[in-house]
Amino acid sequence: MPTALSTLLSHYRRHPGQLVMLLLGLWVASALWSSVQAINASARDSYARAEALFTTGLDRLERRDGQSLTREDFTALRRAGVPVSPMLEGELEAADGTRLTVIGIDPLTLPGDSAFATAGSLSSSPGELTGFLSPPWQTRVAPDTLAVLGVAPGDAAGSTPGLSAGRRLPPLSLSPSLPPDTLVMDIAAAAALLESGERISRLVAAPGALAEAPDGLVLTPATTLASPGQLTESFHLNLTALALLALVVGLFIVQAALGLALEQRLGMLRTLRALGVTGRALVGLLALELVILGLAGALAGIASGVWLAQALLPDVAATLGSLYGAGVGAELRLPWHYWLGGLAVTLGGLLLAGSGVLWRAARLSVLDLGQAQAWRAGFHRQLRLMAMAGGLAALVGLALWAWLARLPPGEGLLAGFGLVAALLLASALWLPPVLAAALAGLAHLARRRPLAQWALADLQLQLPRLSLAMMALLIALSANLGVGSMVGGFRLTFLDWLDQRLVADLYLRPPAERFDEVHAWLGEHPGVAERLATRRSEAILLAAEREGASRRLELPVGLYGITPGATLMPAWPLRETLAGRQAAWSAFAAGDAFINEQLATAEGLAPGDRLTLAGAGARGGARQTLTVVAVYPDYGNPRGEVLLATPRLAERFRAPPGSVGIVLAPGADADDLRNALAERFALGRDSLLDQREVKRVATGIFERTFTITRALNALTLGVAALALLASLLAQARERRRQLAPLWALGVPRARLGHLQLAQLGGAALATGLLAVPLGIAITWGLVAVINVAAFGWRLPLHVFPGEIALTLATAVAVALLAAALPVLRLWQAPPRTLLAEETPS
Amino acid sequence: MSARGAHKRWRGPAWRGPAWRNPAWRGLALGLALGLALLLGGCEEGTAPEPSAGFAGLGESAEGFAQARPGTPLRFPEDHGAHPDHRIEWWYLTANLEDQAGEPLGLQWTLFRQALVPPAERPAPGPWVADQLWMAHLAVSRGETHRVAERFARSHAADPTHDGPGQAGAMAHPFRAWLDDWELVTRVDAPDADTFERLTLTAFDGEGEARFGYRLELTAEGPLVLHGEAGFSQKAADGQGSHYYSQPFWRVEGEVILDGETHAVTGRGWLDREWSSQLLGAEQAGWDWFSLHLDDGHRLMAFQLRGGGEAGGEYRSGTWISPEGEPRALAPGELALTPLATSGAADREVPTRWRLEVPAAGLDLVVEAPQAERWMDTTVPYWEGEVVARDHDSGDRLGVGYLEMTGY
Repeated sequence: MPTALSTLLSHYRRHPGQLVMLLLGLWVASALWSSVQAINASARDSYARAEALFTTGLDRLERRDGQSLTREDFTALRRAGVPVSPMLEGELEAADGTRLTVIGIDPLTLPGDSAFATAGSLSSSPGELTGFLSPPWQTRVAPDTLAVLGVAPGDAAGSTPGLSAGRRLPPLSLSPSLPPDTLVMDIAAAAALLESGERISRLVAAPGALAEAPDGLVLTPATTLASPGQLTESFHLNLTALALLALVVGLFIVQAALGLALEQRLGMLRTLRALGVTGRALVGLLALELVILGLAGALAGIASGVWLAQALLPDVAATLGSLYGAGVGAELRLPWHYWLGGLAVTLGGLLLAGSGVLWRAARLSVLDLGQAQAWRAGFHRQLRLMAMAGGLAALVGLALWAWLARLPPGEGLLAGFGLVAALLLASALWLPPVLAAALAGLAHLARRRPLAQWALADLQLQLPRLSLAMMALLIALSANLGVGSMVGGFRLTFLDWLDQRLVADLYLRPPAERFDEVHAWLGEHPGVAERLATRRSEAILLAAEREGASRRLELPVGLYGITPGATLMPAWPLRETLAGRQAAWSAFAAGDAFINEQLATAEGLAPGDRLTLAGAGARGGARQTLTVVAVYPDYGNPRGEVLLATPRLAERFRAPPGSVGIVLAPGADADDLRNALAERFALGRDSLLDQREVKRVATGIFERTFTITRALNALTLGVAALALLASLLAQARERRRQLAPLWALGVPRARLGHLQLAQLGGAALATGLLAVPLGIAITWGLVAVINVAAFGWRLPLHVFPGEIALTLATAVAVALLAAALPVLRLWQAPPRTLLAEETPS
Repeated sequence: MSARGAHKRWRGPAWRGPAWRNPAWRGLALGLALGLALLLGGCEEGTAPEPSAGFAGLGESAEGFAQARPGTPLRFPEDHGAHPDHRIEWWYLTANLEDQAGEPLGLQWTLFRQALVPPAERPAPGPWVADQLWMAHLAVSRGETHRVAERFARSHAADPTHDGPGQAGAMAHPFRAWLDDWELVTRVDAPDADTFERLTLTAFDGEGEARFGYRLELTAEGPLVLHGEAGFSQKAADGQGSHYYSQPFWRVEGEVILDGETHAVTGRGWLDREWSSQLLGAEQAGWDWFSLHLDDGHRLMAFQLRGGGEAGGEYRSGTWISPEGEPRALAPGELALTPLATSGAADREVPTRWRLEVPAAGLDLVVEAPQAERWMDTTVPYWEGEVVARDHDSGDRLGVGYLEMTGY
């Protein structure tokens, strides 16, 4: 048996290229897959830790007037029997410049079943509390923050690392469950470190412990504070889908390489059978070979996947941080099942790809010696099967589409991905039959041009082996096109929308208690053409009513107040209105509401509906009923929002003052106003933001969001190119045998070379052309189905001809590159070798 | 096991009193130590601490703290307030009440204080800086119902002692002991009077239907009783002990809210005050403590430390109090405590039927808890509930009281 195995494996010694190709396919597929999984696992771990922390599980109380709460407020409330706990939050700079969040807690009043339990320490000795509460106190910190603090994990416990301003932290105590870059300590220690005196950031209470906010305070229920896990789920789903795509493309390479390796070993297999190796043993040996190769490829893949993830993670972390405020450690933290999962997925994929090979090997006839190219004979049957399977996939896609069409908008994220996958699969399966039919048709047309006819016929002969590579190319191209168009479309829409939203030249955020004074002063300043005051608050959307039928919702929403003025109204985009823009704006100014697209989509709301809202203010029970007169797009906002005119929001929901947008009079200078404000109100230059600065920050965030998508997209295309290259290289030697007769008939080698380039370039072009409509269909699926389900907003479908041309060019270039090497070899081969009878392998 | 009748001598003032009676003290030490460990350590919520591990924490060194010593006269009203230089202290009230329908009702309210560091190491006052921890327990029981709540707070010994900024504290004159809105406060306005004589106790927890608690008026109908040697209650052969006095003569009136119903109640209450610095030894597994109001006007305080006596046996002690408030300290040999039957309470077996013999007082009692489910499911759990005392031979009902059991 070992002899038989070494005989089988000796094939790769003679054809190291095939081994390289096989391993490459496995390696690339598993590397991309495991890197994305590693990123997801790491990010999820970070969310779990963040959610386990205080901010998400507890109701929050802040002062209505925006001032700081103090220790006195806390004591007074406790003495009045209100179960609140103080929390102090601030930022400190580590010695290396990293911003660290410092959270000061009072463990004695923090709700006991809050997730503080998970902020735990490694030791829980009885002296724990005394150590936490008494000087020099303790700093609870996750091990992955140690690097930032410049402390080695071994010496962490008890060390007191220094901070930027020469201050030192209380002795460290490790708590793996804390989010990264977060320091938790007793509130006394935090107050000393942050020099915050008697001030606290907020009061917290167990969810639902307070029926209403005490006077002068605003209560934000825990449920309103969206959890990063939920928000980012769709982001991770996107990453996973891309990684799955990469895995599939990689497995195409593997499948191609395995088929080739088997075909070339058919003679050897028959010999082995003739020598007495049973069919079952042979299949077992081939399976063993697969496992050995699979293990090697998967291990290499996982190792490089982790490396890749480490390279991408800072970007992912930055994206998630800026988009959702979710803190993600820039250091990988992988659970054990990650490693097993990566291995299992790669091996499973390999066995799936190799199952056809094993099946054929099992049915191998010992006597079937004459038919060396047995595989190709069945190709027509295979084409029929592929067409049928493609039809099946298309039917599944249609069924999903029909189902999606009946779902309320905003649901069916998985079905959306299923639809896109079915579309891809159907197209990939139909590609070989379509190509075969096209070739047959073309050959018919080229009857009078023998060389062209030969080239077409020859291409048809190559098709069985090329088809897999072409399928991989089709999938990669169309996915690339789809994702590219979506990102590009989103970018255009988002930038437009930013322009429409940010109409004021300057944005001022005066202190809450001086808001009225500053607002009035701005009104009299000659350089100010218009003031656009905004306010924000929170509310619970209790019910929605349409044509008398009421629905209970109990949904936390944001309230946002804007000033409908001459500058804002024409610019603010509206998606649907009840009776036209004019009417919508007049109704809005009079007290009716707009809702954002996210809310409309998620709850199936439309203009004309009446909403009942309960403000989260001191008169928490006070209900307000509003009529929806329009829906507006609100890109990038993960939450549902109700828009009101600022004065209405202030009087109906007692919303605290927010910022003021300042539209400058023509010719007025921003710096003059800045100086005047600084002089009159001693407002720092920081409290006045330039519109361009706001746009720059927003665009920066956006660009980072799609860095990962773009990177993965490019990698997928690279894998497809590799697949094509590998398939062509694998059959280069055989090609020579087929070209030899033509050369012998007098066709010059240069012509033969061109012919080959034309063959492959043509096939790739055809595949690329098919990828264009498919790509557009995928774009549609992404913007109209998946995006709506994942984020709650629909994007206009943008098609970028430049990008399509680029995709086509890529396809042809990849094919030409792949063909160039064999052609070059043909060019350099002495004519003698073309005639030499090739020894069977 | 029983030492009944073995020593009938009157030990006199040098007798060692019931120093360490209170599980709740262990509640505090443990609650603060272990409870915080629970909070900080990420253990599962509701995990019961191992009693033995919990007790180990009480054996910690008292070095640097003020020590309770015999011969230190108690001074009133000063000693009603906090003694921050001592490590541990409590204000412990239990009451046996009846509502209008004659239905018995029991309640407990306790405020515990613990100093985190010795006075010499006390941190400089600053925002939130604390060296004193406070814990309060609230319990109401009626029939099978037993409701419990607990609260924690911090303070600094240098905080002003008047009713000022603190979340929790205790001041001697005018008397007030509080944590959040739970408070035991004087009803006496005259500044020169004894403000400890008439108190109001208010403590409620929960919202809506789940709200329970009480507002009670306490009126002292007898003098303060000093246990042991003029209020120094020795608890170990090496001289360690605590300062310990009681007010066992409260007449209690007021209202109790439980299960959405308000009950007008009357009855008798018992308040213990104790402070010390030395905690228990690790070998002590727990204790059983009784306070009884007998119908003839006598009061009896009796306890045993399991493992605290000579040769590892129980260490027993108590005080027999006349209707006029004259105390007679009971020596270990003058007291016998024998568990007769156990019941299941919160998955534990606790002795809920005892024989209590004090031959010197002519007492041979069977003390029984009518309801076994009086488990205090607080950060540090223990058993505390109402008991009925009957004559062992005749079975006649002689009085009511409270029983507290730890370490089961």
